[in-house]
Amino acid sequence: MAALIALPWIEPDKFALHVLSLIAIASIAAMGLQVLLGYSGQLSIGQAAFYGIGAYTSAFLTAKLGVPFPLALIGAGIAAAIASLLMVPITRLTGAYLAVATLGFSIIVYLFIKNEEWLTGGSYGFIGIPRAELFGYVLRDARSSYYLNVGVGAIVYFVFARIEGSRFGRAINAIRQDADAARASGIRVTLLKSECFVIAAFVAGLAGSLYAHEVRYLAPNDFTFWKSIEILIMVVIGGVGSLAGAILGAAVVVGLPEYLRAIGDYRMLVFGAILIATMLFGEGGLAALAATLGRRLHALAMRLILKPTASRKAAP
Amino acid sequence: MSAATHGEGLLEVRAVTRRFGGLLAVDAVDLAVRRGSVHGLIGPNGAGKTTLLNLIAGVYRVSSGFLRFATDDITRHSTAKRARAGIRRTFQNLKLFGEMTALENVAIGLHAQTHAGFFDAVLSTPRHRREERGITDRSMAVLQFVGLAGLAQARADSLAYGHRRLLEIARAIVARPALLLLDEPAAGLNVTEAAHVSDLIARIRDDGTTVVLVEHHMDVVMRVSDEITVLNYGRRLAHGTPAQIQEDPVVIEAYLGRAGETDRAQA
Repeated sequence: MAALIALPWIEPDKFALHVLSLIAIASIAAMGLQVLLGYSGQLSIGQAAFYGIGAYTSAFLTAKLGVPFPLALIGAGIAAAIASLLMVPITRLTGAYLAVATLGFSIIVYLFIKNEEWLTGGSYGFIGIPRAELFGYVLRDARSSYYLNVGVGAIVYFVFARIEGSRFGRAINAIRQDADAARASGIRVTLLKSECFVIAAFVAGLAGSLYAHEVRYLAPNDFTFWKSIEILIMVVIGGVGSLAGAILGAAVVVGLPEYLRAIGDYRMLVFGAILIATMLFGEGGLAALAATLGRRLHALAMRLILKPTASRKAAP
Repeated sequence: MSAATHGEGLLEVRAVTRRFGGLLAVDAVDLAVRRGSVHGLIGPNGAGKTTLLNLIAGVYRVSSGFLRFATDDITRHSTAKRARAGIRRTFQNLKLFGEMTALENVAIGLHAQTHAGFFDAVLSTPRHRREERGITDRSMAVLQFVGLAGLAQARADSLAYGHRRLLEIARAIVARPALLLLDEPAAGLNVTEAAHVSDLIARIRDDGTTVVLVEHHMDVVMRVSDEITVLNYGRRLAHGTPAQIQEDPVVIEAYLGRAGETDRAQA
């Protein structure tokens, strides 16, 4: 936490801070999908739709209606959450059927963004999005927008971390592990699954809003179903079920191409390879890998430190 | 039957039929379960016992017929609604939440009795903290009751088979349901473990929960049941006290028959 606060002063490079902002924004969307997929077990490949709805809502509210940024941010989340209510009937679906339905929704939203020029600017994109401002202070430099994006990311992280070990968290976990047994315990499965959908959409909307004000130009191609796939990849390579994993996954998926420009168009190929490797190493993803590495290093360190005693004990 | 005149009826199944395509799994079955009793449900494989249990629990809807629980017509109610109204069950093929601890599995059983939602959890409201304490205390007490207190923090999928059976029962009774449906709770258990389950069922009844028991272990059924209904080919074959059922020539022929001699001797 302290490291995140101190970072802009240690590494004040504008580009680095911008990339970290983008990672924080992607993390927010990925953490939302983590609640949906990792906690409640619902596979969505349509999160880009809610991300896009949030981005364009915030852009429209601030640029066209002059709504202050904090309200537009919340408005973006709410707009995405309301849009997700359209998906409530499909939360009865499971597995591949649900995934395909969310994909369909994502495609519809993309086509809407692309074709409704009067509202979104269509293929020309949405230009003239103002900088974010908080309490009359305009976030002009990379450092202040870094604090905004990382700050919102941190709030989302701490809010979601509270779900684990709560009645709500237990119930959605139960639904993922065995929906029949959850029903038999009196859990309203469809209702709670819908709530997870709305929560994930809300934070995807927040992420969209932050993105709009970070890059200040939106184009429909930022919100194709590839974006949905990217968000899913973040969750999967980070480790399904782990909030920290969602952030690690976002760092890899967003950070890697920024620093390895050379891979450019081949990035999906690289992600594909990472994805297969993740599956081979087990479901835990990077989060589990980091934990295992930590344990191994700890064990190694302990062995090195305790070696004399250990060998003495082993001798007789 | 004489036994049915004691105590008031908690569950009434009337002329319930369930078809699966051309198969009549349950055919116009009547069942009256008295409050405070253990009602055994026996019959050969494929007799429709588990289907009837699923109809009572709401997993399947009846093709025709009527279900009354206490004073309510529950024929059209969902599984979750029936569970919230006080009908809980266990599963023949164990359905535990494997990645959770034993304690968390039991805590799930209290979901409907508690109210804290997403925002309570996020804000850690007093209501949330109070509820969590109550959930933990009650769940621990029930683990103690079934004999699993020492394994509260063990992951459910790491438990021995017999312990998993007990954990299912703990999850089903934690909310003090009016009616407990047990689907072969002693399946796969050895004699000692089965005796422990019989004893547990009696204690659950004594605590005020009415029990419907589907079970193949005849010694368990005969020992703890106050009444028994026998199903065969989806129809009700007989109904009475354990003593009456063991003497019933129709039952002996259809079910206890050839392999039944040793069972009867044991019981």
